[in-house]
Order: sequence, then structure tokens, then C-alpha cells
Amino acid sequence: MLHKTDSNAMLFVGAALGLFFIGGLLTTVAPPLLDKSWGKPFENHDATKGPTGKLVAYTEQEKRGYDIYIREGCKYCHTQQTRTLESDTIRSGWKGVRSPVSTPDEFVNDYRQTFGTKRTGPDLSRIGGKYSKEWHRAHFRNPRDLVPGSIMPPFPWIAENPDELDALVAYLQTRGRAKDWRPDNDYEK
Amino acid sequence: MATQTVNQSTAAVATQEIHTDTTVKWFLLGAVGYFAIVGIVALIIAAKFVWPQFLGSISYFTYGRMRPLHVNGMLFGWLLAADMGLAYYIVPRLCGVKLWSEKLGVATSILWNIIIVSAVVTLLGGYQKGLEYADLPTPVAVLVVIAWVMFGINIFATVATRKYEQMYVSTWYLMGTILWTAFVYLTGNFATLLPGMTGVNQANLNWMYTHNAVGLIFTPAGLAAAYYFIPRASNTPLHSHRLSMVGFWSLAFVYVWTGAHHMLHGPISQWLQTISIVFSIMLLIPVWAVVYNFIATMKGQWHQLNDNVSLKFLMSGTIFYLLTCFQGPMHSLRSVNAIVSKTDWIPGHAHMAVLGTFSFFAMAGVYYVVPRIFKTTLHSEAIANWSFWLFLIGGLGMFTALWLGGFWQGWQWNNPSIPFIDTVVALKPVWLVRFFSGIMIFSGIVLFLFNIMSTALGSGQAEAEPARS
Repeated sequence: MLHKTDSNAMLFVGAALGLFFIGGLLTTVAPPLLDKSWGKPFENHDATKGPTGKLVAYTEQEKRGYDIYIREGCKYCHTQQTRTLESDTIRSGWKGVRSPVSTPDEFVNDYRQTFGTKRTGPDLSRIGGKYSKEWHRAHFRNPRDLVPGSIMPPFPWIAENPDELDALVAYLQTRGRAKDWRPDNDYEK
Repeated sequence: MATQTVNQSTAAVATQEIHTDTTVKWFLLGAVGYFAIVGIVALIIAAKFVWPQFLGSISYFTYGRMRPLHVNGMLFGWLLAADMGLAYYIVPRLCGVKLWSEKLGVATSILWNIIIVSAVVTLLGGYQKGLEYADLPTPVAVLVVIAWVMFGINIFATVATRKYEQMYVSTWYLMGTILWTAFVYLTGNFATLLPGMTGVNQANLNWMYTHNAVGLIFTPAGLAAAYYFIPRASNTPLHSHRLSMVGFWSLAFVYVWTGAHHMLHGPISQWLQTISIVFSIMLLIPVWAVVYNFIATMKGQWHQLNDNVSLKFLMSGTIFYLLTCFQGPMHSLRSVNAIVSKTDWIPGHAHMAVLGTFSFFAMAGVYYVVPRIFKTTLHSEAIANWSFWLFLIGGLGMFTALWLGGFWQGWQWNNPSIPFIDTVVALKPVWLVRFFSGIMIFSGIVLFLFNIMSTALGSGQAEAEPARS
């Protein structure tokens, strides 16, 4: 049948778009209708079902920090997903505690997805609460002062701008905090 | 098929004079220029991995802003513009008629230049939209849509007025490119911004776009060029029409399902991951059909590679296509993905597709087309040959360094007793090799630019000589 499309342009257009739309619609429109966790914010108060906690909306300051994260292209070097790999849960963990894997319902408020495709620097999906604001300020001023061997660029225009620094750190401290996963509750502010 | 090609050759000679090719000239010369300009950005990025302080504290030149400029500049400024320029050359010839409107074509080229300049300014200024490959801010993305509609109208109107009823495979691929791109681009740049499109939902649309920017824009546009220029440059009929249909229609069906393989093991529904794996494996069908067709066309003709730069680019591009599209399905296997995903292996793979395959096809087309549309001969075959070897050796150096380094990196990540920073430091030799390979590739670009511009600018003096066609 398809050989008729050799000489009939309209038939060609119909067939090319038809085949494309089968897969196109089934993989983009159907999944969020079938898997509700894509659109429902995380909330769990039953410790037997896994980590407890609740995803809260971003504050205005956190949103400004989020926009700085986008502006500077941070996601090109930092992923934000603790994958279902044992090594990921250990690397995202803290002080010997393993981190829970990332689930779709933790990202419902993210108006720009930041999952990332490349891990030139470490994953940030559970960075929230690991380091203090002073640590982040020093690190943005020159990452190599704190982490010798790092290839992250310095961001002096953020480190020296209290508004931007506070906003960006506030955003970073939200990462992974929907789930309360550290038993000692020893999160930095 | 053989008869069709012969008919078209005769027709092409008889109708040589009907084509003015102004649009082709505008698009191709612009594309070659952007290739060199964005090549500088690529080198700066490669240098930053080795010397992180290099241009390190100026916001416009930080990695996070230069990387979207590199990606968008190469994809849209160089490769897509070159593919569009070649389409404006190929389609009128396969249809036996003039391009529907040269004026519309030139207007499209002017708009395209406005887009690329706006992209440079906005991306360096940090106005990126924050979606990979769809980084251009919305107003610029709107201009891309307008330019694409103008391109589509011109090509489809040319096809509608064609003299030969039967359409050659390159024409299908270009029509497919125009149709699919329209929807893929709208999905990635606009559907992702609809209210409520957040988190995983937005990422799923983003990966549908990112994957199909390569799979349904650059693949069909590049294959259209290869399907046209391999038989043309070797003066040999295409091996099999039927096989080219298998390749085309399986590509049309299979590619769009695979977006979620960018999030294997990640926070996206397991069943969607499995679907994307199954369809990723099925990608081998269109790829092997196309590669077999190209190789079989060259049967008995391989000696022509000795003195034909276009064929050198086309056939090494074909081999890279086979390799990169074997890697792709293999990466989507969960066990392999657990090692290579998010590592430096991935840019090695991506560069083999976009540089090694589709840029090679586009350069073959540019080397073939530019002397003909300026009715002259190539400025220097020797320099063209040099550019090929610089691209090939530089490219292989970069790809293999990143694969080996990325695989090693992945093994280290899977051993959590190794601190993350040690896995960064371990890769520095790899990045140094990548930088020097980059210098070779960039030298190839400079020679390519010089040769093409000299051919175009020198065409005035050469007009007295008989045109080589």
C-alpha cells in the first residue's frame, strides 16, 4: 500500500503524520493520564510506606533562586535525580544514611524540569540541608577553595550579591526535602 | 530505480539553466560561517574542562551559558541551515522544476540569520528558557516556527508543481522532516510551557523533542542528502528502492516512541521506560536498511573514494551512522545504561551522530553543491582532502577518548567508596585529549570555510573556464 505514496504527495503526508502521531500521542498525552503520580504532589504520613513528608510550594525567594539556577545553566553539569541504582542512593545519602530514590511526585512544582542529562558535577537531588549558606557562599566564590580538583566555574556575581546568593541557597536547600529522609533531622538551613 | 536515476541525470543536464539557486547560496554560505564561529565556542568549552579558570569569572563565558550556545549554534546555525540549503538544491532538481519562490527563500534565509544572532545574544545573556535543546527564549522560538513554515511552503509548493510524478526517496525524507519537525518543535518549545506542565510531565515532552530533534529532524534531513549525494557523487544508481521504503516508513513509525530512554532508572513510570527500550532496539531496522542500501550502492565503486572528497565524507558518515545507531539501542538496555548514562560517554555518542554522521553528510553536500551553483571548480581539492582527514582523525580522537573515559567514569560511580571528586580528577587526561582533538576538528572547519568561501568569491575569475558538472 505504501508504494502508492511514491507518486501521491497527499497520501504521503497522511501516512507520515499518521504513523508519527500513533507513537507521539501514546508516549506524551497518555502517560500522565495513566500515572497520576506525575501530577500529584508527594505527601505521606505513614512511615510504614516509606519516607514521610510533604511537597510544599516554592516561596517567592526560592523561585528567584530557581530562576538563577536556570539562568546559569546549572543543570548542564548537575543532574537532579537519585536513580534506582544502589550507588545513586549511597552517593545522594548523607553521613551513612542512604537517600530514598527520586519519584515523580517530588517534582510536581518544578516549572522547569532540572533532571539533567550529564553529571559533570555531583547530583543535587538531595543537596537540600547538606551544607550551610556560608559554605555555599565560599563555594560559589571559588569552588576549588573547598573542593580541590573541582572544575566548577566561580560565580562571583552571585557570591557578592546577597539577594541572589540568599535566593539561590534557599532554592538549593529545598532540593530533596519533600521527603524527610535523615533520621537525625540534621538539616542545615 | 536505475531508469529513474538515468532519466533524472539527463533531465538535470537539460534543465541546468532553470535553477538560479540564490537561496541555496545564502543558506550554505551562512551555515559554513556559523560552523566556524560556533566552533570557537566549542573549543572554549573543551578548554574549560582542562583549565577551569579559563574565561571563568565572566558571566557571559561560563560553561552554563556557552553550552546551550554551542548546542543551538551547531544544531540550528550550522547543521539545520546547511540541510535546508541542500534541500533548496535537491528538491527542485528531483522535481524537474524551479524552486517555487526564490524571493521567499531569500526572505527565509534573512529571517534565519536574525534568529541565529538573537540566539547568541539571548543565550549569552542568560535568557535561556531552561529546557535542553529548546533553550531559545520563546520570542526567538516563534521566529523559528515562522521560518520553518516559510521553508515548508516553498518545498511543498515545489513538490506540488513537479514534472516527475514519482518522488525519489530524498524528497520523502525532506517532506517528512518538514512535517515531523513542525510537531516535534512545537512540542518541545511550546507544549512544555502549557499550564500544569511541570516536573516529569515536562521532562517527558522535553525528551520527546530532544530525541526527535536528532531522530526526526537531523536524521531524515541528513539521510535525504546522503540518498541524493551518494548516487550523484559516485554516478551510480541507488541499490534498492524497496529497501529505502523499508527504512523510511520504519523510521516514521519507530522513532517517536523512544523519548523516555533519556530517563532510564530515573523518576518516570517503569512501563514507559520499558516501551522506550523496546522501540529503541527496533531502531536498528531503519538504520540497517539505510546503511545496507548505501554500502550496496557503492559495490564496485569503492575506488572512487580515492579522489572524491564528497564520497569520503559520505561513506565515513555512513560508518559513523551505523556505529552511533548501534550505541543508541545498546545504551537503552538497563544494564548498559546503568554504566554509561550521564557520563562523558554520552557527549561522545552525541558528537558521533551530529558531527560524525550528519555534519559529514552536510559537508559532503556543500563540497558537491557550492562549485556547481557558482559554476566553477572547487578552490582546492588538496585542502578539501586535508579538511576531511582533520575531521576524521580529530573526530575519532574525541569520540574514543570520551567513550573510554565515560565508561571508566561510570564504573567508578558504581563503586560508591570512590569519592565523586576523584572521578572528576581521573577524567582530566581524557578532557585534554578531547581538547587537542577539538583543535584538529576546528582546523578542519577553518579549511572547509576557507575552501568554500574561496570557491564562492573566486567564481568571478573562473567563469571563463568550462563549468565542471
